[in-house]
Amino acid sequence: MGKVLEKKRLKEFLKKVSKGKDLIAPVKKGTLRFEIVEDLNDICLEGRPLFPIKKFFSPAKQDLMKLNLADKKKPFEEEKIRIKPRVIFGARLCDFNGLLRLDKLFNSKEYQEDYYKAARENTLLLGINCIPAPSKYCFCESMSLEKYYDLFFHDLGDKYYIEAGSPKGEALIMNLEDYDFSIPDIKCDKKLDKKDLAQYYDNPAWSTENDKCLSCGKCTAHCTTCLCFDVFDELEANAKIGKRFKEWDSCQFLNFTLVAGGGIFRKDRLPRFKHRIYHKLQYFREKFGFDMCTGCGRCIEACPRLIDFTEVINNFK
Amino acid sequence: MLLTTTPYKITQKEKLAPETYLFRVEKSGKNKKKTDKKNNEKLNYEPGQFYEVSVAGFGEAPISVCSYSDEFIEFNIRDVGEVTHAVVNLNEGDELWLRGPYGTHYPMKEMLGKSLVIIGGGTGMAPLRGVIKYVEKHRADYDRVHLFIGFRSPDAIIFKKDIELWNRIFDLHLTVDKADADYKGKVGLVTKIVEESGLSADNQEAIICGPPAMIKFTVMALEKLGFSHSQIFISHERRMKCGVGMCGHCMISGIYVCKDGPVFRYDQIKNLHE
Repeated sequence: MGKVLEKKRLKEFLKKVSKGKDLIAPVKKGTLRFEIVEDLNDICLEGRPLFPIKKFFSPAKQDLMKLNLADKKKPFEEEKIRIKPRVIFGARLCDFNGLLRLDKLFNSKEYQEDYYKAARENTLLLGINCIPAPSKYCFCESMSLEKYYDLFFHDLGDKYYIEAGSPKGEALIMNLEDYDFSIPDIKCDKKLDKKDLAQYYDNPAWSTENDKCLSCGKCTAHCTTCLCFDVFDELEANAKIGKRFKEWDSCQFLNFTLVAGGGIFRKDRLPRFKHRIYHKLQYFREKFGFDMCTGCGRCIEACPRLIDFTEVINNFK
Repeated sequence: MLLTTTPYKITQKEKLAPETYLFRVEKSGKNKKKTDKKNNEKLNYEPGQFYEVSVAGFGEAPISVCSYSDEFIEFNIRDVGEVTHAVVNLNEGDELWLRGPYGTHYPMKEMLGKSLVIIGGGTGMAPLRGVIKYVEKHRADYDRVHLFIGFRSPDAIIFKKDIELWNRIFDLHLTVDKADADYKGKVGLVTKIVEESGLSADNQEAIICGPPAMIKFTVMALEKLGFSHSQIFISHERRMKCGVGMCGHCMISGIYVCKDGPVFRYDQIKNLHE
């Protein structure tokens, strides 16, 4: 059993739960984006932002160390990680399921990336149900998403039905009125007909979509679960001080597999395209037992050529 | 912290070939004391593993160890990229910053009692030098040791002093791809020399490191001699930027070369999709 909140009390509720924290929500300023909310009136729950929430867990560009070449004993000084506690409101199940996948890479038993770990520990996840699916490219219905959130809101017209998914979430809605309701599952127009892709690797159908690819990397930039990165040293004009930083990279770029001496292992676009899809739908599954893709459809919607890998897979006979 | 790196002291620098140097580093200063307290002052790496070698302002690069010792680490540095260029400009007494060791190693302990066929091409000899140094120290553990070493030209030959020694204690075949008429040594592709060796595959384990094309043709040569793919170990070259299975650059078919490799048994990776 969950709770109920009248819509006119939403702002008051968000203000209360985000006290002393950053409130992150979809904000409409030109395009719809997840941003730190400055004015509660800016929050917009129509549609889903084309950029996912991953930047709050692993920024597009993140300083790792200060460099001081003059100091031979200590040329590196590690940046301290400071994460202000935050509340994400208005993200969807695909977004939060994306975090469950990224946990496997950035916050596993074996290895924890400090920034990601701190961000995960300091973020409350307040999601909203997708009725109807916010984009025609959504296909999460095919992806067996988990009900993963601290709180989950379902729009009932003049009020929200709210369900807690964690003790932290429960504490936030303790004082709200009980309400009996069962949240319906998300329905999508688009489907992914899941198959064992191993047997289709050499299928010529991959080429028809791949031939449109511009290697621009938008698919990976918008992906809920793509967080490959490169590391760079950058010096200031005096060539004495600078920084070491990490920055998102994309497996769709030609130089992604470049090694010293000029060798590139995925020179053609086709193996790069297949690498992306197989990683999302096969390699990750073999290791962790579930797909890396969460069916958010952003890679299709963001693509300048609307390349749609679900069409390729659905048409395999 | 992601990519934390620690200083090591460069105690030897030796020119091996044009643009190629052997660096020896040892634990230094604070780094040494800190590990002393933990009663773990010895270095602990195995042949085939690598370190992320770092020079502030230039970046990090994965470099295989080419030694076997708990006192020092040696790296063969060829000046081919931004980081390696910065490294070759360092000198004895300077500090080199390292993370590691990372990755899998050649399974030396699982090869006890076997004869070894060690086949290296060019800079690919670097990790194999670690293997051979290991064998030197544990000579009684192995049966016969055959070395097949190829370089593109006589002036590209590295580890000359080692090769002289290996020639005395092992069955060694050194060859170069091309040479002037006055070159006295063997000329020809190392893959061909392997094929013509007539070695029997019985009780043998093969260890290969070199450029991708050399590995491919060496495997074919070994197949002709009757080797099965489970008798062959190779080391994959990839862009191992982070070394801890996160950055994604070295992934092939879901396998992280930095973590699951770089050393693989050939039958386990031969069918991977690039």
